[in-house]
Amino acid sequence: MKRTILLMAAAFAALGQNSKIPDLSGYWERHDDVGGGSFGGIFDKIIPKAELKPEVIEQNRQIAARQAAGDVVAFGSKWCLTSSYPFFMQHSAAWSIAQNENEIVQVHEVHAFPRHIYLDGRGHPPAALLNPSTNGHSIGHWEGDTLVVDSLGFISGGTPGGGKIGPGTHLTERFRLIEGGKKLSVMFTWTDPAFYLKPHSYELQYYRSEPGTYAFEEYCHADDAKQSGSVVPPPQK
Amino acid sequence: MKFYFFFALVQFAFAQSPDLSGFWELRFDSRNVPAASLTTDAAKMATEQREHDAHAIRWCYDLGVPFLMGLSPIDVIQNTSGKEIAITFPYRGPSRHIYADGRKHVNPDVFDPSSSGDSIGHWEGQTLVVDTVGFSEEGVIGIPGGGRRASTSHLVERYRLVKGGQQLSITFTWDDAKIFTQPHTYEFRYYRAPKGTEAREYDCNASDEERTKFLTGPPGQ
Repeated sequence: MKRTILLMAAAFAALGQNSKIPDLSGYWERHDDVGGGSFGGIFDKIIPKAELKPEVIEQNRQIAARQAAGDVVAFGSKWCLTSSYPFFMQHSAAWSIAQNENEIVQVHEVHAFPRHIYLDGRGHPPAALLNPSTNGHSIGHWEGDTLVVDSLGFISGGTPGGGKIGPGTHLTERFRLIEGGKKLSVMFTWTDPAFYLKPHSYELQYYRSEPGTYAFEEYCHADDAKQSGSVVPPPQK
Repeated sequence: MKFYFFFALVQFAFAQSPDLSGFWELRFDSRNVPAASLTTDAAKMATEQREHDAHAIRWCYDLGVPFLMGLSPIDVIQNTSGKEIAITFPYRGPSRHIYADGRKHVNPDVFDPSSSGDSIGHWEGQTLVVDTVGFSEEGVIGIPGGGRRASTSHLVERYRLVKGGQQLSITFTWDDAKIFTQPHTYEFRYYRAPKGTEAREYDCNASDEERTKFLTGPPGQ
């Protein structure tokens, strides 16, 4: 009998080899742990400013000046253009991970494409064959209990802390469960000699959503006149 | 001997659900779609439905089910945990979530109707049976074979691997007494995409004037 139990345990162990891989699947959401007052306000407290090249700082200053003058509705918002990575990682809406041994997909509720992280051992496509995309091309592997994701092939965009994203940008992320799986830590490191004086690194943490959480759909109608308006009335001249 | 017996027993227990994961492509011979039998009211609304759908495409709305299931390739990600199957598409916006963790449909008094509805699934042998309700009129509402989805529509899908796992058969059955005189059933057979297939991004830009002219103007201009 004892031998039989041992054999059964061995059989389960053989099938459970993959159980050592952390299960990141499920819904994740941001909370305000630092009294930031808003999801954007949290960044000011927890994310260091990117160390940017002088010309990039000047571009950012011009954008800020336009916004201060009342240009508060971005072209992208007005036309419901596709958001690029890592926008949904900063959004207030929960997002989810679907995971198996060959792939992880991050699914969200905003106007963006789902993000695919290939774990099947493939490399990035050769530069000549790489189609730039809003999420870039992402491959991952496990280093112990940490999922390390390498991405390139972005089109454009921005990061918290004032960083920028372009065709030459490279992103490394480290996903790791913390606090017994109740939270997910993601460490981002952006590099691009066109924008940064040194790698731009920061960490965001996400709380595991309640069991039974389900996805919503966020609509954006570019033909709706209200979409061209602003939630913040511009200054009257 | 005992080891092999128990190993086989355990393997059987774990192998109950086929793995549908991977990229799947539609080809020219992938669709078996008979004409739907429509109610008189639904038949009268065919033109209105086509205009509704053209508007959704022109303005890059969320497209929803069943239109998204007709894009190619689709990526099925069956969670290792077994609690969810996600389906993603080469179009921006909502992916499909099929919850297989035993939950029921969200209370309709609480659920915000959506273009893909609320989907729950369970396994019947080798077949994944997916039940979807809670549709909105967002996006492309036309159904292959005729008719349209509405808040009253109910969709049952049956997913199963065929041809030794090289094809994925999905049988769609729509039920809605306001639209169909009898349940409308059709089948898509997706081909397993080659190893190394990658997701695509078919973007949509409502501010693109050339695109707008093509979609709304006379053909050939």
